Amino acid sequence: MAQTPSGQYLRRGLSRRKFVKTTAAGIAAGVAATAFPRVPRAAGGLRTIGLGVSIINEIQAQASKDLGFPVAGQALGYGDMFSKMLNQNDQYEIGEGYFNDLRVMQPAKVWQPIDTKRIKEWDRISDLTKTGKLTPEASEGQGDAPFRLIYIDEHGDRVKGPSRYITMVPAFHNADSIGYNPKATKRPIESWAELFSPDFKGRVALLNVPQIGTMDAALGVEALGLRKFGDKGNMTKDEIDFLVSFLIKKKKEGHFRAFWENFGQSVNLMVNGEVALESMWSPAVTAIRAEGVPCVYAFPKEGMRGWHGGMAISAKVSGATLDQAYEYINWWLAGWAPAFVARQGYYHSIPDNVKKYLEPEEWDYWYLGKPAAKDLPDPFGTIIIKKGEVREGGSYWARYSKIAVWNSLMDENNYLEKRWSEFLSA
Amino acid sequence: MTAIEPLSAPREVLGPRGLIGDGPPIPIEQAEPRIRRDPGFPVVWLIAPATLWLIAFLFLPLLGIVIFSFWKASGHGLTPAFTLENYQNFFAVEGFFDPQHENFLTPSIFVRTLWTTFRFTVTVMAICLLLAYPLAYFLAMQVESFKWQLTLFLLVMVPFWTSYLIRAVAWLPMLGRHGLLNEFLVSTGIVEEPVSFLLYSEFSYTMALVQLYVVLAVGPIFFSLAKIDRALLEAARDMGATSFQIFREIILPLSMPGVAIGMIFVFVLLMGEFATAVVVYGGKTSTTGTIILNYYGIANYPFAAVNAIMLMLAMMIGVVVILRLVDIRKEL
Repeated sequence: MAQTPSGQYLRRGLSRRKFVKTTAAGIAAGVAATAFPRVPRAAGGLRTIGLGVSIINEIQAQASKDLGFPVAGQALGYGDMFSKMLNQNDQYEIGEGYFNDLRVMQPAKVWQPIDTKRIKEWDRISDLTKTGKLTPEASEGQGDAPFRLIYIDEHGDRVKGPSRYITMVPAFHNADSIGYNPKATKRPIESWAELFSPDFKGRVALLNVPQIGTMDAALGVEALGLRKFGDKGNMTKDEIDFLVSFLIKKKKEGHFRAFWENFGQSVNLMVNGEVALESMWSPAVTAIRAEGVPCVYAFPKEGMRGWHGGMAISAKVSGATLDQAYEYINWWLAGWAPAFVARQGYYHSIPDNVKKYLEPEEWDYWYLGKPAAKDLPDPFGTIIIKKGEVREGGSYWARYSKIAVWNSLMDENNYLEKRWSEFLSA
Repeated sequence: MTAIEPLSAPREVLGPRGLIGDGPPIPIEQAEPRIRRDPGFPVVWLIAPATLWLIAFLFLPLLGIVIFSFWKASGHGLTPAFTLENYQNFFAVEGFFDPQHENFLTPSIFVRTLWTTFRFTVTVMAICLLLAYPLAYFLAMQVESFKWQLTLFLLVMVPFWTSYLIRAVAWLPMLGRHGLLNEFLVSTGIVEEPVSFLLYSEFSYTMALVQLYVVLAVGPIFFSLAKIDRALLEAARDMGATSFQIFREIILPLSMPGVAIGMIFVFVLLMGEFATAVVVYGGKTSTTGTIILNYYGIANYPFAAVNAIMLMLAMMIGVVVILRLVDIRKEL
């Protein structure tokens, strides 16, 4: 994606805002109305936006208490979060975003370069986002691995290799795979190929987000030995065509029960017994188990699909507010918040800081992959892990040494979107 | 509106038109002469808020959409330009004119989606009408007491008191693999295994849409039926008309405006549908609404705008056709 001189950006920025403002009522009033709810500006405080992954009342309340200034969080759906981050950077100070969106956010210059010298524990942040290797023997994974996108110069233009400035401070992350009901599958699921196994015809659901769904499908196609993809995180048109033809064939056979778009849907599909297995986000497993339905998260031998979130600062922030923004980010890294979300299965870029805030049994279960030594709670105190249970995929370090592909934005994104529509309509 | 109209046409004998519940036709001799009145100062103020509102929130955004549809997508926004590329992407298909090509004379996915959206809309609209008319007829013609009429009408409206999404989601426990309907079918031995076609299928999609939108058709039809002057029906009966004749010659024509308005409501809303498919069809189809949303989601605003314009054109054509079928002004 071409970088643009800042003059051109300004004009473009204005027109984009105007566009959003004027289309808000036009295209779909309903969508627009939910897409742009305003958060009242807390005087001398911060507004932070993101997904429910990191924007949780308890976290922002704790931050306000510890930091001495108000931090207001707004959790949005992915599409709304993306649009707001891109089009309304005067409506938030902190963007708790995702590295796979940096290909859009960086050239749009909606976020300001973050000076790593002002990130207190920058040196302690793991190599996962710095070199791509959490452990020396780890594979980097295809696609938009954070280390490929994180570094910029002081103007915000992407540079290769380590630099003083970054777009996003790495924080929460996880790796996704397939969730399944062992009673329904009657066998452990150990490969992405199982997504297309005829044994589960009519009882499979896929994630209906083309950018991610295609990668899950590509992992399956590759595992079946049908085709090898050059880069599953950045497919060619030909590769997309091949994949979509395969998916259309499967769809016409009645292989898919549904395509889910949000977390709740994926939970319902399995709880209601509609599917035996589906591409899934990891917190869904605990949500499904909480409903009394058995659910296991697979650790496919091909590796998982990784994603990484972090903290960005809007380009509009300056002065004292900017200092507060850095304070909030430093507070996040320090461990209270990552420990909070660790109980939902999310990892943090400075594991040792999380350890300080977790009970030893929790640390052993969530990070080390050991059997739970006692019943363990979720962030809100409900017991979700029974004594003796083991987290799939082993320890954090084992899991992240084998990331097959990272959530990505492909160069052929528009083409992908079009072909995906064809798949859904087929 | 206030211009003098010629009194020669027989239809105009009906005298001044009013709101629902017009009085009986006024004989031509008694019709008051119509006076051309100067709308004057206050009228402007009466229409000003609505006009400003429409300009600010309808006309300007529409204009914006039209303009932006000619701009270029930059991957993270849009750049001013004048390009037909977005329209080309909407229509163009590789190998469309090549008889050897597999895509020969195959419309693009966006055209096809618009067509399926339209086709589905018409189907659901037809079902809505078939269900709504008898219901409205019962309410307006069979229920004698006004109190009961109103009570029953409000009951019909009850689903509107809950959110749209809840009404859609409510189908899941009903139609699912382990849903109420399947449990009933299995327990009564009609089927041995739960059937899966009930949910995440065209069947459930149609059911849900009909249930969601039928009320919009009931309302206008009910009102147009309710305002039919009973004296007309009595007169017809006195003159020996059969019930069917009365229905065909009097009730149906007089209720057509309500039918048309109901059709327009249902048509326009169905054309813009995008959320129901996700909930009850398992996202297994795409509508032009979802395509707009998806391209908006990847920040390709110009292409979303093109789809929005095409959708709007299709809606306008549909509304014009409906208005051609029923001359609302004449019938009112």
